[in-house]
Amino acid sequence: MEVIIGLLFFVAPLVVFGLLIGRTVERKHLRRLDEHDESHRHFLITQVKSFPSAMQGERPPTLVVAEVVIASDYLKTFMASWRGIFGGEVRSFTTITSRAKREAIARMVREADALGYNALCNVRVDPADVGGNNTQRKNPMAACIASGTAYVAART
Amino acid sequence: MIVTNTETVAGYEIVETKGMVQGNTVRAKHAGRDIAAGLKNLIGGELKGYTELLTESRRQAAERMLAQAQQLGANAVVNVRFTTSAVTSGAAEMYAYGTAVVLRPTTQG
Repeated sequence: MEVIIGLLFFVAPLVVFGLLIGRTVERKHLRRLDEHDESHRHFLITQVKSFPSAMQGERPPTLVVAEVVIASDYLKTFMASWRGIFGGEVRSFTTITSRAKREAIARMVREADALGYNALCNVRVDPADVGGNNTQRKNPMAACIASGTAYVAART
Repeated sequence: MIVTNTETVAGYEIVETKGMVQGNTVRAKHAGRDIAAGLKNLIGGELKGYTELLTESRRQAAERMLAQAQQLGANAVVNVRFTTSAVTSGAAEMYAYGTAVVLRPTTQG
């Protein structure tokens, strides 16, 4: 009984905390990513090794890299621990990993854009290992490192 | 120095391959960052301290790789790859490697 009461007093506020703030943080981030996608529609992103429709005699291609680490919130962590019992897709973590990847690509695009390029090829997105408290798996986080080659493409 | 993660570079041809160059580093963040990250795990959002850690490590590893390429007399590094590993709690290794080459702009016919 005391254990249940203890859980209610300790875990419940944290879950509510995650529910209220975590949800808002995630929704805001997703909106920013959508806005970015919308405003960079003209930007050509491929993951092939060749340079599709590259323009001759333009500035030389260059490497762009971006890293992102996104933390889980308490609600997500809590829900994931329940999912661990029944199995199946851990949706709460699918969203943070995809947010990390989208954000990393968005940052590369912004950097390339600022340097005067309009295309990225050979985009690679890899999970990164940050160490941190990650090894204890107490504080789940999604870390990724993305790289690509920026170049100038002829756009119609 | 032209750096790309592709094997070829549009508008250039490889006239000489100098060989593989590499650079690595293991970096850690101060404990304050780790504590902040722990708190961030309640509400979610980006862990800026760890993002910074990755960026600093990547820059340092790339710098070392480029220094090697320069020593070999290359003017470009192609097919660059980055890998990471967590050495211990709070420290991350970043390893950058690529192939040092000499590039020449292709003459347009």
